[in-house]
Amino acid sequence: MSRLAPQGAGRLCKVCRHAIARRSYATTSNDGWETVIGLEIHAQLRTRRKLFSEAKLSYDAPANTHVGLFDAAFPGALPVLDLNAVRLSILTALVLQCNINSRSTFDRKHYFYHDIPAAYQITQHYNPIARSGKLQISAGEYGSSRDISVGIQQLQIEQDTAKSQQVGGDRLVDLNRAGTGLMEIVTDPDMRSAEEAGAFVRKLQALLRRVGSGDGDMEKGNLRIDANVSVNRPGEPFRTRCEIKNLNSVRFLQQAIECERKRHIAHYTSSSSPLERETRGMNELTGQTYSLRLKEDAEDYRYMPDTNLPALVIPPSYTEKLRTELPEMPWQTSSRLREKYSLAQKELDTLLALDEFTAGGAQYFEDVVQGLDKPGLARRSLNLIVHDTLGGLNRLGRSWSPLVIPAQLMREIVLGLDDGTVSGSTAKTIISHLTSLHPHKPRPTTLEPLLIQLNLQSKPTSSADLEIWCQRAIQAVPTAAAAVKDGKLSVVGRLIGEVMAVSQGRADPKKARQVLLRLLK
Amino acid sequence: MRSTCCRRAAAQTIAARTSAIHPVPYSWVNPDAPGPSSGPLAGRAIAIKDNISYISSPTSCSSLILQDYNPPYSATCVESLVEAGAHITGQTKMDEFGMGSQTTHLPPHYTPVHNPASPSPGEPPRSAGGSSGGSAAAVAEGSCWAALGTDTGGSVRLPASYCGVVGLKPSYGLISRHGIVSYADSLDCVGILAKTTDITRQVFSILSHPDEKDMTCVSSSSRKLANEILDSHQSKITPTSTHPLIGIRIGLPLQTHLPAPHVQTPPSLLEHLQSLGATLHPVDIPSFKMALPAYYVLASAEASSNLGRYGGGWVGSKIGDNEGEFVGESGEERRKRIRSGRFGPEVKKRILAGTYALSADEFNNTYLKALHLRSTLRRQFNSIFRIPHPLRPSHTAPTKGIDILLHPTAFRTAPLLDSSTERGQSEYLQDLLTVPASLAGLPALSVPAGKLNDGWPVGMSLTGQWGMEDLIFRIAEGVEKWDKTR
Repeated sequence: MSRLAPQGAGRLCKVCRHAIARRSYATTSNDGWETVIGLEIHAQLRTRRKLFSEAKLSYDAPANTHVGLFDAAFPGALPVLDLNAVRLSILTALVLQCNINSRSTFDRKHYFYHDIPAAYQITQHYNPIARSGKLQISAGEYGSSRDISVGIQQLQIEQDTAKSQQVGGDRLVDLNRAGTGLMEIVTDPDMRSAEEAGAFVRKLQALLRRVGSGDGDMEKGNLRIDANVSVNRPGEPFRTRCEIKNLNSVRFLQQAIECERKRHIAHYTSSSSPLERETRGMNELTGQTYSLRLKEDAEDYRYMPDTNLPALVIPPSYTEKLRTELPEMPWQTSSRLREKYSLAQKELDTLLALDEFTAGGAQYFEDVVQGLDKPGLARRSLNLIVHDTLGGLNRLGRSWSPLVIPAQLMREIVLGLDDGTVSGSTAKTIISHLTSLHPHKPRPTTLEPLLIQLNLQSKPTSSADLEIWCQRAIQAVPTAAAAVKDGKLSVVGRLIGEVMAVSQGRADPKKARQVLLRLLK
Repeated sequence: MRSTCCRRAAAQTIAARTSAIHPVPYSWVNPDAPGPSSGPLAGRAIAIKDNISYISSPTSCSSLILQDYNPPYSATCVESLVEAGAHITGQTKMDEFGMGSQTTHLPPHYTPVHNPASPSPGEPPRSAGGSSGGSAAAVAEGSCWAALGTDTGGSVRLPASYCGVVGLKPSYGLISRHGIVSYADSLDCVGILAKTTDITRQVFSILSHPDEKDMTCVSSSSRKLANEILDSHQSKITPTSTHPLIGIRIGLPLQTHLPAPHVQTPPSLLEHLQSLGATLHPVDIPSFKMALPAYYVLASAEASSNLGRYGGGWVGSKIGDNEGEFVGESGEERRKRIRSGRFGPEVKKRILAGTYALSADEFNNTYLKALHLRSTLRRQFNSIFRIPHPLRPSHTAPTKGIDILLHPTAFRTAPLLDSSTERGQSEYLQDLLTVPASLAGLPALSVPAGKLNDGWPVGMSLTGQWGMEDLIFRIAEGVEKWDKTR
């Protein structure tokens, strides 16, 4: 639950380990203060139905059209757990290197508010499904400037609340979101800058998408963040932290952290009294945080086991089975491809961003370059994909799919470019034709029919024309001609290229080769 | 207003069917005549307690806060009855949300429920017990063949004992709770009231099945396991025609033996059971005495949670005729107004007690202690039964253990209805003998066992290991035989 302060007094506090100082001297900004950040993330589970009812998930359906009896707290309706939500949570927890709790339980968190019809939220307060994990971020990754390891205190499954809005004097409530499954992920206070907090969130988004457990869409509110921020002098214990609630973009998160950092420093440099522990909100227009309430006013949630839900028993064998099903994470794919094919990070990032859920971009690239061992071909393939194909699609406002240019066809283009049988201009024409084609139109999977269709095949030209083009080419590149004459046949490609240029692509490269070799005998 | 007319209809219809001097046990009577039906319960009239959702009737739990609530669905148990051919004849009065032992916690406009088991017409009216008092009275007066109640701490067994009928609280998890308005989820059970054990068994066999709409309703594999355990146990104690209970070991809990004038197990019943072949064994269940406080902490805590939904803008927030007066009040003000005005005093008392038990400062010392007592009690029950608990395969049952526990259901006969001294603390005490089985999730059945000196009926309780309903039915029939021959 993200609306309210986290804990009543005297209970296990999710961020209580905040008080245990972990020193990291490399992170002090030049004003002599160190910023300490811990995050609490609510990520909607990407399932088909609600966590405890059969109602379907929907983002923009008409209000109150996806509501099960249980979601509206009808008397007598009981929760029925979606096991797929459990599976996705375990997969996520495994990537976060958590210990999976073999017997987790559900609890009720009580409060009265119109966005929670039952007056309690089902969560995992006492026995979350996973604990004690970490997410490592390398310097340079997702904008972090140093290597960090962010501890994960726990991952728990819980219900989302309804959406409500004030319209005139009325408070309108839409139960479509009520009861949607969430993962609440609580980190240790391991981040030391707004930049690092942003890197953590971006890496987590990539993780959720690749695992398929969430879409990480902050704009839609499918991923929401509460940030705990404090500042201290390096080497000294942590000071009072404040929690900023419901941040719904990385930019706002970073603004809020910066704002809090400055506010805390200003307080400590102007006053000797301790900072009040508060729950704060964020004004998105001004980028400033503001006080919502003091922590002492926090509600007592009267946590109680939900006896309608039997303990969630997860046999280790099931966890191990899921572990084997884990996909390669985007950062793993990235480093593997970078090392194997010596690719540039920028293009790789673009490739991996193509389809974050199924890693379709990377899969497509690997289909194209499969068996292309010649150095440089992989890099050329990536350029064709990232610059030519995506560039073309972007100009037309179309989205990418592996079907735009079938992998086998792309391969032929790469090979043709390499052996000179396809000219650069032909390749560009083909790619631009295919990107402009309606996405649902079928494409040929081989080059030949396209060349004919687009009138790009080497035209039957008279042998006289070919002779003339070849002679012009020999004159244009005399050094290459001399080399061929000396028996360096590999250089003939350079001359063929020239013939293609001179003939404006009309010459048949194979025949040109024969003519050139004859002329230079 | 649909429910108002239904209530008026109830009063009229029932007036013709029952003695005019007895106020009706029904809150709603089905205006439709039973149609043609087939199935094992074809043509049987069955009443249901007013906290069991039925799409054709209002379900108010005897609470003003649910006064005009018409559930958009039927409880699984009701659907099973209807599918088996039964006719839902009406809904019966109860203590508000099941909280009470005398069916006296009713909305102000309700007529009371009178116990139909009066030995003579001149007797001052007595309580039918509670909270399923309406269901017990409906069975006792003969206006239905059987009735469903719910039993959280004795709410089926106590009224059965007071009204002289059979009342079964099955093992927790055998009958789906989908559609039962929750009082305390970890204790609530759908129960059956009927004139005889045989009818109870017939209804139970229709209702006991898995339900994917209730995760606490056990799977068919657990049921199969319980049946196998019972079969293997019964094969060792084959009854003979002269000794139908041969080999059955009956435990008499020391803690349930209360001095006169409290109800005691009739010596002639014990002799009868011995004559049928059973052996008697005193058993010690020290935690029995701690069951009542543990029960009230847990039930109140769960109730405070379950009843939070009422009056908050969703269920139980009827916009009244005078709603115009409250324009501009905040959601919190509205909630306070509706909850303080529409919950009865007993419900409010338990919500407050439960809220207190769950508060941060009290939780460890109150709620957790009660949970601890509950698990101690469960362990002690398991240490006396020689039949192993089907859902706890790790535990080994003592070979010298007993098969069934026998003790009075209540320590007294039905209390007078209008005696204020009967209320208050003593109302809670009436659950003393019934809550242990509720806390342990064990099946318990109250079977009529004669009358006390005052001429009013008493019931004896039979409590068995989880899933051993069939064994309980067998012994209950032995008790019935004794009751008839007297």
